[in-house]
Amino acid sequence: MATPRTRASSFSRNVPSTAAPQVPGVKSGPNGTLFLSSGISDLDKILGGGFPLGSLVVVMEDPEAPHHMLLLRNFMSQGLVLNQPLLYASPAKDPRGFLGTLPSPVSSKDDKPLDRDSEQEKGLRIAWQYKKYFGENQPNSNSQRDNKFEFCNEFDLRKPLQRQFLSGQRVECMSTQDSSDLAALHDRCATFLKQFFRTDGNISGAGRIAIQSFCAPQCTYFDKEWHVLSFIRSLRSMIRSSNAVVILSFPPSLLSPSFSKRLQHMADTLLSVRAIPDEDKDLAKLLTGYQDMIGLLSVHKVARINTQVPIILEAATFSIKLQKRKFLVLECLNQAPVDGSSGTSYATSGSCSVSSKGGSLDF
Amino acid sequence: MNFDNSHEAKEGANEKGTPLGVLYLGICERERTYWQTILLSSPKLGLDVHVDQLQSLPQATTMAESICRALRDGALEGEHAPALTIKDSIDAPLGFDVFAHVLAQLSSHILAGKSQSRGLVLVAFTRSPSFYVDLLKERGLEVNSSRKWIQILDCYSDPHGWKDRIMGQGKVDDATKEASGVSRLCKDVKDMDKLCSLAIELGKDLLGEGKGRFSFALDSVNEMLRYASVHSVARVLSDLRSHDLASCVFWLLHSDLLEDKVAAVFDYMSSMVASLESAIPASNGLRISLENLSLTEQNFRRAKFSVRFKRRNGRVRLMSEEVSIERSGITFSSVSTDGGTMGGSLLPKVQFNLQLSEKEQMDRAKVVLPFEHQGNGEPIEIYDGRRSLADKNNEAAGTMQMKDSSKGEIIYLRDSDDEMPDSDEDPDDDLDI
Repeated sequence: MATPRTRASSFSRNVPSTAAPQVPGVKSGPNGTLFLSSGISDLDKILGGGFPLGSLVVVMEDPEAPHHMLLLRNFMSQGLVLNQPLLYASPAKDPRGFLGTLPSPVSSKDDKPLDRDSEQEKGLRIAWQYKKYFGENQPNSNSQRDNKFEFCNEFDLRKPLQRQFLSGQRVECMSTQDSSDLAALHDRCATFLKQFFRTDGNISGAGRIAIQSFCAPQCTYFDKEWHVLSFIRSLRSMIRSSNAVVILSFPPSLLSPSFSKRLQHMADTLLSVRAIPDEDKDLAKLLTGYQDMIGLLSVHKVARINTQVPIILEAATFSIKLQKRKFLVLECLNQAPVDGSSGTSYATSGSCSVSSKGGSLDF
Repeated sequence: MNFDNSHEAKEGANEKGTPLGVLYLGICERERTYWQTILLSSPKLGLDVHVDQLQSLPQATTMAESICRALRDGALEGEHAPALTIKDSIDAPLGFDVFAHVLAQLSSHILAGKSQSRGLVLVAFTRSPSFYVDLLKERGLEVNSSRKWIQILDCYSDPHGWKDRIMGQGKVDDATKEASGVSRLCKDVKDMDKLCSLAIELGKDLLGEGKGRFSFALDSVNEMLRYASVHSVARVLSDLRSHDLASCVFWLLHSDLLEDKVAAVFDYMSSMVASLESAIPASNGLRISLENLSLTEQNFRRAKFSVRFKRRNGRVRLMSEEVSIERSGITFSSVSTDGGTMGGSLLPKVQFNLQLSEKEQMDRAKVVLPFEHQGNGEPIEIYDGRRSLADKNNEAAGTMQMKDSSKGEIIYLRDSDDEMPDSDEDPDDDLDI
């Protein structure tokens, strides 16, 4: 694999795009897609850059845990920090109260979690006998880190967002509790998205819409499932022609299975969060870092708008952890080292089931 | 579950300038508690932090006690009230007994002044107020004491107002004198909004002039669903939970009378779900034979009681117990928990850890790789046919020979002994581009 070539790019992962996008907070990716950050850098990496502009992100809630709020909060804060207008709808009577819980970005003075990826690239040491002829060819990822700062921030969940970001016309809030046929929500979204109508020229700005707990039981439209679906369909058509991203969370267990499935199919990017049992000895034995985990995030579908090539993820489920109790990180599920005696607990789901027997035929 | 908080951000409270004073304003239900558990280790911030009560449960208490304790402790500032669903079914019809037990426990805490709530509003759909008064009296809880602590919203006697219309001015309910003192008749239960506001009004009435909170108990959600749609009942529950003065809410539900979707709604809206299942495994439900009969009879006395607590840190605690109804009352006994069976089913294929910890990274940095010494600026040593390195190698070979000669006469000369000790056997090695 290590062909001796003078180009540094054979070892570098992310080729920095030459055309810098005009708008901060919007990154350009392959196939002409533009990305908005989700507010969680790990999630951006997993999804291949972020949320594509013009896509609908659906988060399936778990009725037993509020982790979808973490995703929504990071998304909303990221937008506000980058001066992107935001429309927020929730079933509460006063949605503005939620804005008080948005996290604030970490300033560069504070310690940030290590950027693990670039560390490894810089420190990649190759035991290669022709290295002595070429000197050091290290991929320089420093410039990328600066760009990333304009795109995705680290958020400190302990600190609330400063008031200056919340004021002004940037944030609109709406309660979905009383709308019986979602017409009001539809109109509000339509007027909001008109500002970001997509033209062939350069984009002027990007917007974000966050709809929380869609189809919560106390909403009047709760039983009207076909209305819900037609709303989502028209929302999708509106958003395809605008420079915005909509994130919507709904509890799938409260809809009938067929409608829940239909809603899931309408998503461009589909994520789900799940709760984990507390003080579960089996899980603690099975996974490393079980104590720090607060939940699980699964990626079911990744939006691929301008291409036919799907993203096939190595792992679809990630653990949600709070690093240093401040930062939200997503990590791959790592199996704890298994000692020989207890190899049976998970062996059946592994590749060979014979190993679970052990016994006298230990090789 | 309404994770959002409908409270207005209280602007005035953070005038002290502590930026984290803002934390407690307008925060959603569990969000606030996330931050509480996070802040536990920072006393220097000078904030009064409440410890997550469920964390400090001693293991010896039964689950029922822990439920009652959670209800007793009530809601924290800026948070939704804890909500308990008691679910049963025809196989384990002990739901009302558990409900009555929880009611009695909470009432005794209220009377003793140990709970956050100072009063209880009971919305009675399935039984008359006099029944409840007698029930509480049996357990030694006086309803008409000096301090008003309970109000019963009577939705049982005349839910549609028919009796009122028929009898005109006559007495509608045949409640005893005691019960009528604490109960209030509701004549139109279909209007859920009105019911909700009536319940809240009764609660405020209990508090009187003083500060404090009050609790709600709803006798049977199934009855409510007969009169109104799911979303109106859900609205009532979420309004009660999110009310500023609500301390805790609990309700009874018969799960087999509802569709799964509807039962899921009430699971969604509660923070603790206590379900009663048959202690005897159902063998063949329909056939009733002599053996079965005695077993099914037992279902009226014993059941398996399992609770799912939605903890503040986003995890779910599962506990399981056995409940039995004797003549003397209700008892809870613990069974050996086989907890953790759900864990394995949650996870997909799990990989091994490919990341390095700090220590491992440092160790890795110390490893000297084979060609590394070559690019360092030292003279590059390549064998080019001359035995300039022969001394070095002879030394090595010599020591080998020395060692060997002590044992015997095995002299080993490597075919390629002119190679450097730590380089690959690469014929291209002598290339000097």
